[in-house]
Formats: sequence, C-alpha cells, structure tokens
Amino acid sequence: MKVGEYEVPEGLYYSREHEWVKLEGKLARMGVTDYAQRKLGDVVYVELPEVGKQVKQLTEPKTREMELGAVESIKAVSAVYSPLSGEVKETNSALSDRPELVNTSPYDEGWICVIGPSALEDELKNLMDAKGYAEYLKGLE
Amino acid sequence: MSYQQARWTEPLIFELSKPGRTAVSLPEKSPEGVNIPKKLLREQLGLPEVSEPQVVRHYTRLSQMNWSVDSGFYPLGSCTMKYNPKICEELAALETVTCVHPRQSEDTVQGALELIYKLEKYLAEIVGVSRVTLHPSAGAHGEFTGMLITRAYHKFKGEEQQRTEVIVPDSAHGTNFASAAMAGFSVVVVPSDARGRVDLDALKNAVSDRTAALMLTNPNTLGLFDDQILGITDIVHGAGGLLYYDGANLNGIMGKTRPGDMGFDIVHYNLHKTFSTPHGGGGPGSGPIGVTRELERFLPVPVVEYDRKRDHYYLDYDRPDSIGKINGFYGNFGVLVKAYAYILLMGAEGLTEAAETATLNANYIMRKLLGVKGYELKFDSGRPCKHEVVFSAEPLKRETGATAKDIAKRLLDYGVHAPTYYFPPIVHEALMIEPTETEPREELDHFVDALKAIAEEARSSPEKLRTAPHATAIGRLDEVKASREPILSWRMHKKSRPRMPTSSVEIIREMRARS
Amino acid sequence: MRVGHPYIPNTREIREQMLREMGIASIDDLFADIPEKIRLKRALKLPRAMSELEVKRHMKAMLAKNKPFTQMLSFIGGGAWPHDIPSHVQALARRSEFVTSYTPYQPEASQGMLQTLFEYQSMIAELVGLDVANASMYDWASALGEAALTCARITRRKRFLIPKLISPERRVTLQTYVVGPGLEVAEIGYDRKTGRLDLSQLRAQLGQDVAGVYVENPSYLGFLETQVEEMSDAAHKAGALFVVGVNPISLGLLKAPGDYGADIVVGEGQPLGNPVSFGGPYLGIFACRGEMKLVRQMPGRLIGMTTTLEGGKRGYCMVLATREQHIRHERATSNICTNNALCAVSAAIYLASLGPQGLRGVAERCAANASYAMKKLNAIHGLKAPIFDAPHFNEFTLNCDGTRMSIEKLNSKLLERGIQGGISLRREFPELGETALLCTTELHSREDIDRLAEELEEIVGGQR
Repeated sequence: MKVGEYEVPEGLYYSREHEWVKLEGKLARMGVTDYAQRKLGDVVYVELPEVGKQVKQLTEPKTREMELGAVESIKAVSAVYSPLSGEVKETNSALSDRPELVNTSPYDEGWICVIGPSALEDELKNLMDAKGYAEYLKGLE
Repeated sequence: MSYQQARWTEPLIFELSKPGRTAVSLPEKSPEGVNIPKKLLREQLGLPEVSEPQVVRHYTRLSQMNWSVDSGFYPLGSCTMKYNPKICEELAALETVTCVHPRQSEDTVQGALELIYKLEKYLAEIVGVSRVTLHPSAGAHGEFTGMLITRAYHKFKGEEQQRTEVIVPDSAHGTNFASAAMAGFSVVVVPSDARGRVDLDALKNAVSDRTAALMLTNPNTLGLFDDQILGITDIVHGAGGLLYYDGANLNGIMGKTRPGDMGFDIVHYNLHKTFSTPHGGGGPGSGPIGVTRELERFLPVPVVEYDRKRDHYYLDYDRPDSIGKINGFYGNFGVLVKAYAYILLMGAEGLTEAAETATLNANYIMRKLLGVKGYELKFDSGRPCKHEVVFSAEPLKRETGATAKDIAKRLLDYGVHAPTYYFPPIVHEALMIEPTETEPREELDHFVDALKAIAEEARSSPEKLRTAPHATAIGRLDEVKASREPILSWRMHKKSRPRMPTSSVEIIREMRARS
Repeated sequence: MRVGHPYIPNTREIREQMLREMGIASIDDLFADIPEKIRLKRALKLPRAMSELEVKRHMKAMLAKNKPFTQMLSFIGGGAWPHDIPSHVQALARRSEFVTSYTPYQPEASQGMLQTLFEYQSMIAELVGLDVANASMYDWASALGEAALTCARITRRKRFLIPKLISPERRVTLQTYVVGPGLEVAEIGYDRKTGRLDLSQLRAQLGQDVAGVYVENPSYLGFLETQVEEMSDAAHKAGALFVVGVNPISLGLLKAPGDYGADIVVGEGQPLGNPVSFGGPYLGIFACRGEMKLVRQMPGRLIGMTTTLEGGKRGYCMVLATREQHIRHERATSNICTNNALCAVSAAIYLASLGPQGLRGVAERCAANASYAMKKLNAIHGLKAPIFDAPHFNEFTLNCDGTRMSIEKLNSKLLERGIQGGISLRREFPELGETALLCTTELHSREDIDRLAEELEEIVGGQR
C-alpha cells in the first residue's frame, strides 16, 4: 500500500525507527523503509554490521547493542537499529559499492542484513504490520 | 547591486607541468655531497614542474574564485566573520616573529614571552578568569583542553571513575559533543525550553554524581542570552560538576558581562572569531582557555611566568598536576600576535563598542526581517538577540517549496555570502545570521532587501532559486557523487580515469570540437 | 562631530538613528536580559586604545627583544626547521581572498580554496606515497595523537608502540591525546651503536593488543632508520598498523613511506613554506592508504573532486563529512573543525614552486650541509658528531663528553659569540651524555659551518 508518496508493502513487519523485517523461514531479512530513505536523501554509504554480531531488539533507552550500523547521506547519519534480537547471519555486500540501492530499491536489493532471531515470537509483537505502520506514518506527517 | 565572481577554467597545477620547469633557484651546492645509501633514496617524485609566472597566475586566479571578508558581507552565523585589520598581518609578518625558533634560548625570546604573558592577562580580564593558556590551536582544540582539565580536576578530587558524563544542550555546536567524547566522557543531551533556553527541569533531572561538567555557550546558538544562567550554574555546581563556557559567541557580550562572573569555571575563546584574527580558509585559529584559580594547576605546560626581580620571562615546565601538552610548542604564536595587536587597537572602549554594534546590527536585521513574509522567528519572538539572529524559512518552504539552502545559495548571487543554514538543529529551515560590527547600515539594508527579493522570486520564478547560485565561479556540484566515489588526490584521479573529465582544458577542447 | 572607529562603519550617530527607527531608547535596552547581578558595571581593565602608529611602535619595540635567527647563526631544529620561503610563495599565500575566507562551506563561492586544498592533498599524497592526505591538522604532535586514536578505532586494540628516541614534545602530546580512550603507549628501545629502533624488542612487544607501530624517519636525532621494511612487516604480521612520522623536506630525497609499507603518515608540514614563528601556526600532515576502511576513520577535512550537477564542469567540495563532528557529534572521528588551511595553502604553493627537482635540491643541500658539519665538528678534539654510526639527513647529535664542559656551558659560550647551538638532550636522554641536537638546512653556507667549527674549536681548546 501507499501512504502519500511512501511505499509500505504488505507482508512485512515494521519498527518505529523505520526498519522493515521480512520472515524467510527461520531467518529474518531487514532493511530501512521507503520513508526512511526518502527522509535521508541520497545514500552515500552504508555501515554494515559484522556477521556474527549479537544484537538486541530496540527498546528505550537506546544502546550500542541495538545498532546494526548506519546509513549515511552527505550531510546526515542515521543509525540502523535492530528490529529483532539475535545474531547477524549475512550482510548485503552489494551496498559497499552501490549504497544507492537503499534509495532505488529499499525493500529488495537495498536490504541490509539477515538476522537469526532468538526470540522471534515474543518480539514480533513489538513490531507493526503494514497497516499499523501506514497509520504510524500518517501520524508523523 | 549585481555581482559576478571570477570564473576561470583553471586546470590543476599538475596539468600545467612540463619537464624541466621550476619556480625557484637554489644556492650553490656544497661540494661535500649527500652521504646516504642509495637504497634509502627515492627514484621518482610526482610533483608538478611549473615556472614562477605560472604559479603566480594559477594561485592568483584561484584566489579570485574565493569569497572572503575582504570581498564582501559574510554573515555566517556562529563564525564571527569580522574585518581583520591589515596592521595585524603586518606585525605578524615581522622577522622578529616569523624567524624566532621555539627552542631558542630564553634570553633571545623575551619579546615573544612578554607578549604571551600580557595577552593572557588581557584575555583573563575580558572574561573574568584567573589564568589563561594560549596553547590550543583552534576552538575545538581548546574544548578538548578544557575537557581534559575537567577530567584532571575530578581525578585530583578522587572522582575520576565516577564523573563520566558531560551535559550538552541540544542547540550546541557539534564540536562540544565530539570534544567531550574525545576526552573519554559520555554525552548527555538536555533539551531547550520554549524560549530557546536550557530547560531547567530537564537539567535538574540530568545532573547527578556522575556529572563532570556542563558545556554551554551564552549567548546560545540562537543568539539569545540565557537569563537563567545563575540558576544553571547553581544546579551544576550543586551536583559537583564544572561549568565550561564555549566562547563562540563572546562577540555579543564583551565589556557587558563576563562568563567568569556568571559562574563558569573554564572559559574558552576563539581568537579567530572575537579577536579578529583571520580564518585563513578554515584556519589556523587559536582557542585559548581561561580557568578559575582552583583549576590553574592543571593547565598545559609550559606556562609563561615572569620573574619581577630579574625582569625576565621564562617557561615553567615544573607543574606536576598539568594535563601535559596538547601540541608541539606554545600555541599558534603568529595568531597570538594579531590578537594582541587587535586588543591594543580596540582598548576596553573599542571592544565594548564592537559588542554593542554587533548586537545592534543583528537586532536591526531581526526587526527589518520580522515583517517579511516567508521568514519567522521560532523562539522568543521580539526579544532582543545578541550577536546573531536565527530565522526560520519554514513558512516560505511551505508556501513555495524553496528551502533554506536554496535561499542561502541564491544570496550568493546578490553578492552576500550565505548565512549558516540548517543550524542549530532545533530550528527547521534555519538561517543563522551574524552581521558583526563590521557592516555599515547600507549593507544590512541590502541584505534584508535581498532576502525580500528572494522570497518574491521563490513565488514568481522558483527555478532561479533551485538552480542558484548563478553568479559564482561554478554552479551547484554533485556532492553525492563526490562522497560515493571519492577522488581525494591527483593520484586517485589518474587511477579513476576516464570516469571524470580529464582536464578542464580538454573539456573545452572537446566542447569546441563538438560545436 | 565625533570621529568614528576605523573598523566600525556605523558611527555613534548612525547607531542612534538605527535605534530610533527601531523604537529602542538606548543600546543598553538590548542587554537588559543580562541579570543585574552579572552585568559588568565598570570598564574592562585594559590598556587604553592606541592608534595604529602607536601599536606598531609599541609592538615592534617589544618584539625587538626577540633575536631572530636571521640576526645570528643558528643550528636549532628539532621539529621546527628554518628554510627559505620564496617571495612569491609568501605573496600568494597572503592574498586576502585566501587569508580572510572561512572554511569553504559554500563550494560554489569558494572554489579557489577548495582547489588549492585539493592540490595540497595531492602533492602530499605524491610526497609520502599514499593515495589520501587530509586538508591539514594543527601540527605534527597533534597529528601523531590523532594517528594513535585512528589506529585504535580501526583495530579496536589499545596499545600503541613508539620509539624511545622521539621528541619530548611529541611524546607528551601523544600521551595527552590518548587519555580519553585509555590507550597505553609503550616505548621501544634503540641500538646504542646506530640509534636504530631495536627490531627484536619491537617483535617481542608486538602482541594481538597492539593497534599501531610508530617510527620516525628521519628520527628525532637525525639518523635514518634503515630497517623500515622489517618494521612494517612485523607490525602487519601482528595485525597492527604501521605509522611513519616525517620531515617532508627529507622526502625530496628519501624513499616515500608508502613504498615501504606505511599505512598512515604524519609529519610536520611547517618547513613547506611556513615560517617557524616561535612554534606556530604549523601544519600537521596526515595521510593514509586509499582503502575506505582507513579513509572512513581518518580525522579532519577532506576535499574531493566532482562535477557540476548539470554535468561537464569539474569542481571541488568537502567530502565524507559524515566522519566529522558537525554531523556525527560524539561519534565523530575527531573533534577537529578549524584546521590549518592557510598553512596548507602555503605548502601547496611551495611544493608546486619547487617541483621534484627543487625539493630534491633543497633536501640535498640540507643533508650535504649536515654531512659537512659532522665531518668538521667530529674532527675537533673532545667532540663527537654524530654519536650514532648511521646515515643522517639534516640533523645530527654533537657530544662533548670529551671536554670538561656541559652541553649547556658549550651552548652559552656559543651564544656569547652570536651562535645559537643545538638543543640539549640531557634532560630527556641522560644516557646520551652531554649531547645536543643540531640542524642544518639550505640556509647555511659552507662559511657558516666553518665558523661554527672554528668557534667550537676555540671554546673547547680554551678549556684544555
């Protein structure tokens, strides 16, 4: 679905910090949403997490254990927070050469990493579905 | 007023190179020769080979494509781009300054030590502190020094392990956060209240026995004097923390009030702002730090002392509690000479007149711009500001889509340097304007008229803004490409060919060939 | 009518008129928000304002108490080196369009400074043999501090190894810089005969906790490190970065550190067209390999080449700014903001003017003069120059253990004869005995060196 100019695909889970999660069997692929990439502008660099890093689902107050890296435009840096707890299994190495994929294909080629979740069922409750995220975005605009 | 900057198509100096050219002549070689084994010597060095007239034309042309205070109005907020008297340059270029070595014997550098000693005293009086160090090479370097002194102070009191937090307001300069972190502190951010001041309740909640210091600039980055300052110092001191003063905005209060009297323990100066030493395209600056008597023992070494009996100045290294050294020698002496001259030229009355006029000029702009549609004040509308004023261009953006950046770029076409924009972050579409005492009223009027005209253009011909500037040496650059695929040197450029146009000369040739 | 202030165009009359138009009674109303208690109710206690003529007279008289090395014969170096600065280099670097500009935040209006800094970065890159140099740091000592922090960020390790024979200024500055993250700085000893860094000690110290290995070449005491490849290999084998400190003039002659494995090069850019000015402003050189892993952790400003948005035209702008404090705040690679851009401009113009032959020529003259001076001084009974059996660049040690004089005494006798001798090393390196560090550059003539030798001969001879 669409909220204004922002794409919000069905079937994904969303965080309040504008990360999306796609379940793939026992794994979860994640990236940043269309809203996030538009707010940030042209992405020039993506700081990827190390494979094997243990991460925690984002709660307040934020700590470094909840960070998966950062997405940078020329004049801003936005931390990427982990939508789920678990271990980083794989990262999108294509982003090293083509960070612009976050802009051109945020939900597909611009994915950031794959997480092996450790408490998936409990933690999914803290995320929104497409409809919930769409409402959330309307509240922000 | 119409403006057009020089627009040379100037190749890189490397592209002017031809084998055998040089721009220098050297004295006769010693017949001794060099006694270094061949395996330690280099075979090749890729520097350009050009003659003196070529070098002179090249850098003269480049200088002509560079906006400066001497070119015109430079209302860059927070940077205090005031006029730099020429006499200061002349004095700093004296052989008795430039040709004095920092390790010469003390007897042969008495003039330099006397100047340092006296400049420290003048600066201490201006902000109301006990002692000053002139070592820090720049503003951020001074902040770092101040944070190290903070650390040393808490260590001295046996509280180094406990006092790990530095509090910084959300409107602060980025350097504050970074300097605190570099000295090993974690940063706690306090929000501003509805009037742009430090939120006192939030501050009360933020302080604790972990608080090492609060870093604050007053007037703040909105150009507003925080009238609750005595409450702020009480809260922080009450929690056992120190108060650090960021001197970026000292030009608005010189001679009117002193940070030391407000209760600050560490006071920082930017000689390249307030004391009129030129910015040099980004430096060198000088960022002295003044401290209370209690903190003197922690100042960097060496300290310049005066032996009255012998009428002799000397360098004192014997300071066991000192934080150590923060750079090679004693600070940017060449810059100190200029600041010293400036203070003598101005005197107490002149410095106060500068602060008053800078403040008046900022308020004049504020008043004249307040009625102009498209611009608004976000905080404390109508209250007098100090050295600078921060407008928001959000109304114009809502109405026309033109951003603060578009406005700033378009101002360049009117022969005015852009104000600082998008800072402080607590103001959307911020335009941070600092006129300083340097500008005549006519220039202030021209500036306000230009902003009015630009607001009109945003409505009538928005394209003009989106593609601005037009009168500068070059149009808007692809900064995204520049950061995605950085080319940071001639070597990298040669490797990256032909992704980039090889040389401007060749581009012209190509263009000609095509047409 | 009261005469206005030369630097303040709005005279009192104009200011009063402005206030009237604004409906403000008095200038003090603009400061009414300053609490009564902290208003300054007296004039600042400063000397009365002086005219330009008075200031000139006063300051020239005060500064005349300095004795510049142009009025005596001086052999002082040790991290600040007097060189000739060609007149056109000074004339260009003093152009007020460069001098009175700010950091080039608006690239369209500041192409001149940006291109000049890009050329500076490019020439430093050529000189040190690495792809990337930043637009400047404050000086060598602070650049070294930043290099240690950079190594720690990249390797996430906390030990930094340095040679024992390093300038005290740089050692203490480094120690101050690493207080924040709590790095440990450890010293590697040297070979007593050659002065060279002790390789076996280095290898023994190189554990999995070492972030970087730092060596200076030429060393602080002027000799050359002849085993730099071995040091580089050892550092890299342990997963540490190899950092080399240089006097850039020496690179007119010597192999580029990038060619013997340096990951980071720091150095003092002052001798490249900047005067010694009693210790500053100087020019911190900071360069690194072109790998983005390093570049992204680099401190300081970087200028990059790009094109205009409508395409076609080449231009320059600041790049990779997200490393810096104004964007990344407490997570920035450094807090540096104002750097020493104008000193970098001087260095760019100096290097462009000399070119490869000119710089080689200057370096040769520096080294040849030192070579000649060592020969002459070593021939004097009771003196030894140098104390290390190694090739030297433009600085060397002079030992007077063979006389009955302390090095300070020798220096003060020289000063009586109008010669500024070398830097005494006794406090920092007592194991070297009565030793000083002397420097020669292209400024010294053969006669200057002969005169030093003659005076020393007399001083030492008079003692016997």
